[in-house]
Amino acid sequence: MSEPDKSAVRVEALEALLVEKGLVDPRVVDEVIEHYENNVGSMNGARVVARAWTDAKFRERLLADGTAAVAEFGFGGPEGQLIVAVENTPEVHNVVVCTLCSCYPWPLLGLPPAWYKSAEYRSRVVAEPRAVLTELGVEVSPDRRIRVWDSSAEARYLVLPERPAGTDHLDVDALAGLVTRDSMIGVGRPLAASGDAR
Amino acid sequence: MGGRPEFYGKIAHSPDEPTFHQPWEGRVFGMTIFVQALVGPNIDAARYDLERLPREVYLASYYRRWLGGLESLLVNKGYLGAAELDARLDGSVAEPGSRRMPKAKLVVTARVLRLMRRSTYPRLMVTQVLPRALGGSRPTLSRRKFTVGDPVLVRGQRASGHTRQPGYVTGKPGVVTAHLGATLFPDAHATRTRARPQHLYTVSFEGSDLWGASAEAGTEVRVDLYESYLEPR
Repeated sequence: MSEPDKSAVRVEALEALLVEKGLVDPRVVDEVIEHYENNVGSMNGARVVARAWTDAKFRERLLADGTAAVAEFGFGGPEGQLIVAVENTPEVHNVVVCTLCSCYPWPLLGLPPAWYKSAEYRSRVVAEPRAVLTELGVEVSPDRRIRVWDSSAEARYLVLPERPAGTDHLDVDALAGLVTRDSMIGVGRPLAASGDAR
Repeated sequence: MGGRPEFYGKIAHSPDEPTFHQPWEGRVFGMTIFVQALVGPNIDAARYDLERLPREVYLASYYRRWLGGLESLLVNKGYLGAAELDARLDGSVAEPGSRRMPKAKLVVTARVLRLMRRSTYPRLMVTQVLPRALGGSRPTLSRRKFTVGDPVLVRGQRASGHTRQPGYVTGKPGVVTAHLGATLFPDAHATRTRARPQHLYTVSFEGSDLWGASAEAGTEVRVDLYESYLEPR
């Protein structure tokens, strides 16, 4: 049996045991899974970013007190009790990691992807961020500083990426559609506006 | 594992990964959320449990590690016998866990989790209630030792148990760039030792101070550190 198959069988047996022992309600487990697969994800963070791009006052509030600003959308709670937003500028590019485990702003970005939790990313990005970003396809010019945020305690970081050029005509919903998960971690850029967008 | 070359390698990045790669990963996640709410180690104790798993389990896949953590929690708390799950799998007989869970607690936990499972909350709940309840923010009367702009040195030793002091900043000089308030102190919370809440700071480190000659130019790392990790310099 392959490792994933072994794990699947083991998990199934464990769940059966826990249900027998009254330690798990499988319907609630279903709902928790469904919730994190469908209701919580980077679309939440994308709404926050698009609002900051279009509303200067909100952008100021977001950078001054991220927790309170995202609470205006109702976002917060587990793994999002202290939100800090950090802005990319012509001088600084931000990138986020958790070297100790896999801290990540769940309410804004959902559960972290596997590469973010990998030993390779966690070990390298603090020591060689330029090499890592180049490998991931993000070129940061040598005169621009790279600031790596290691979420080692309570704060969960959200990168506020640069608004793509040529998007003045887009409304906030269309802009949110350009904001990728990677761009809010700092390992990618927002999508470019497509030529025929109105 | 920050800066430790033995973990270096190509990053298996994909821009649009699914939340769970396999159905069993979702089950482990959902059961862990449920069981932690039910038998309740706090997050720091749970992380400490994960750190003490056998190395091959810790470094296996993320949800394999969670599975190991869930099993060891249930065994340590006495709800599951040490060999009970293996026995279930190979058809042998093993001593079951001795402890029983009252039905009422299961029902209450299910209800609380259903209430929490929402993508938006009332504003007061996310700015005031949850940060307190979840430990993130605790009032303290102790005056903070540092202020923004202070040069600091990270103490030269890490705590022996669970700690949030990364190895790569240990003994390194930095500058305080933010005060994040006071929170529960994870090093103590992990073993349920009583300890005062501690002030938490963001400290900026120059790449060259961390990595010497091998540092990339124009790079810095900002790390959140508890007051007792820091000394003035």
